Amino acid sequence: MGGALLSLALLSPAIPADAAANADALLIQRCSVCHADARGQLARIAGQRKTPEGWLMTLVRMQNTHGLKISDEERRALVKRLADKQGLAPSETAPVRYALERRLNTVEQFESEALTQMCARCHSGARVALQRRSEKEWAHLVHFHLGQLPSLEFQSLGRDRDWFGVALKEVVPDLAKQFSVDDPAWKDWQAQTPQPVTGTWSVSGHLPGKGGFIAEMSVKSQPDKKDHYVVSWQGKYDDGSVLNGQGSAVLYTGYEWRAHVDVDGVAWRQVFALDHDALKGRMFQREHDEIGADIVAVRHESGNSRVLAVHPAYLKTGQTGTLTVVGNALSGKLALPEGVRLLKIIEQSPRRIVAQVVADRRALGVHTLSVGKTKGGTLAVFERIERIRVLPEFAVARVGGNGGSEARVDARFEAEAWARSASGEYRIGLVPAKWSVAPFNADAERDRDVEFAGAMNAVTGIFTPAPAGPNPARHLMTNNAGNLAVTAEVTDGKTALQGTGQLIVTVQRWNNPPIP
Amino acid sequence: MKHLQAINPKAELLSKAVAEERIAEVTAMSAIAGCTATVDPGWEVDAFGGVASLCQPMEADLYGCADPCWWPAQVPDTMVNYPDWHKNAPSAKDDWRALDTVFPKDAL
Repeated sequence: MGGALLSLALLSPAIPADAAANADALLIQRCSVCHADARGQLARIAGQRKTPEGWLMTLVRMQNTHGLKISDEERRALVKRLADKQGLAPSETAPVRYALERRLNTVEQFESEALTQMCARCHSGARVALQRRSEKEWAHLVHFHLGQLPSLEFQSLGRDRDWFGVALKEVVPDLAKQFSVDDPAWKDWQAQTPQPVTGTWSVSGHLPGKGGFIAEMSVKSQPDKKDHYVVSWQGKYDDGSVLNGQGSAVLYTGYEWRAHVDVDGVAWRQVFALDHDALKGRMFQREHDEIGADIVAVRHESGNSRVLAVHPAYLKTGQTGTLTVVGNALSGKLALPEGVRLLKIIEQSPRRIVAQVVADRRALGVHTLSVGKTKGGTLAVFERIERIRVLPEFAVARVGGNGGSEARVDARFEAEAWARSASGEYRIGLVPAKWSVAPFNADAERDRDVEFAGAMNAVTGIFTPAPAGPNPARHLMTNNAGNLAVTAEVTDGKTALQGTGQLIVTVQRWNNPPIP
Repeated sequence: MKHLQAINPKAELLSKAVAEERIAEVTAMSAIAGCTATVDPGWEVDAFGGVASLCQPMEADLYGCADPCWWPAQVPDTMVNYPDWHKNAPSAKDDWRALDTVFPKDAL
């Protein structure tokens, strides 16, 4: 009887009321079984700092591989606590936010060749750069890799060198220096005053394949849940279609905004960074993270006067255009650059100015607008397009569906127009184009990749890959992979211009953690 | 490389590319965040930045590569971390639809 009571007491420790204290108790209860050290610290855990996604990946690995038993709710609580207590400062995540934001067509470039060859040959370099560890912990990570994934020494860029020796003697000291757990940026960040996030936000965004949008996002605290919020969202695309939604958000580490928002029946995820009454990041569809919009937002209650963006952000000389300037606390006159003539103010409020304008040659170039004393937002004025660039220049799409567990991954392209002035090239902006694909090289032509790999929408620039699985119609039943040249054709007056990019259509992946 | 001789067309292509110093051309594709191009072959992209030299259809020999964790960032390795990943799919070629993803969705 006494033994049974004692067991019950061990299973149900007195849980403190506070969420952070609850999570600390849970950490001790679930993690110290393996991680307790002689000093009463949680060995391994204490020497690391990570993003919310990084801690999530660690906990999921503990569940998958080491038998950790926790509920989804407990896991969320642990991620929250660890990211708050041992997170990364904004300056530490800034260079590699593309990975958190799921911008998976980013071409990574690191100064360190060792990082590229030793780490980024299998997974993103960002997965490494989004962690901070002591030298001892980086060394443990090397041992972990060799223990868990022993064939890495036999792979290309492994067997041609003393992989283990290079990893321990060269890469570990370098990582410990570059990505130190003791970086003062973290202490500085922890000393900062918490930033407010509740209120109403003006949002400006752009969704490739669809266009720009302007929205208002309302953020309210969830009762009795620190850093948890209720979010609602109302907006319109530049083409007039509606963009409404609602959901919930959590603020990690004092600035890492993560929200789930249901927009007209589709689940979206927001990964933003909060920075002094501004939010910046990407919101993407949960099931299709390749469909995502770049976002900037400003909080009304800050009272900060700010110009967020101008929609559209370019104007052709001689044509009458309607510009929408979006921001916060906008007061005073809309100042236009020389050569841009105001025809009519259609609407003016502290958050939006709609103006009809016309530009002449004196205004050629890129200009920062101003409203009263507030500067911000750029407007490009051009006479003719000189060059078209396809964005992204390299993209990866994946076959999917066809009854398998992985949905296809589309590719979305945009045509970026550039003009030339006496002082050099300048960016006009994203323009409509006619899209097509062709074989990238002789291999692709021989293998009829264009026929098998999927279909390009000529109007939207959205490429939909073909179904997953071996294809009996192809040579050796190969998958519907392909190597395609992507062409954007843009007509400017009587001139036809072309830009090209490359699209790899490849196979699905089954291991899809939030940091690739 | 001087003691190694290419014995099949794919190896000849690689030797030729190295001789012509063309490998550098594909670096950009190899470096797309989270894609594996260099693990001879890569998972997404081959050493030439294309797909013609990948092991495809990948279902034909998937377990031959999943077992020795050849692309553990993309394909769950069945040697250490996900030993039961393929238990409902004895033949990858015929049963690939039964292979599931391994990371919990919507976990944050």
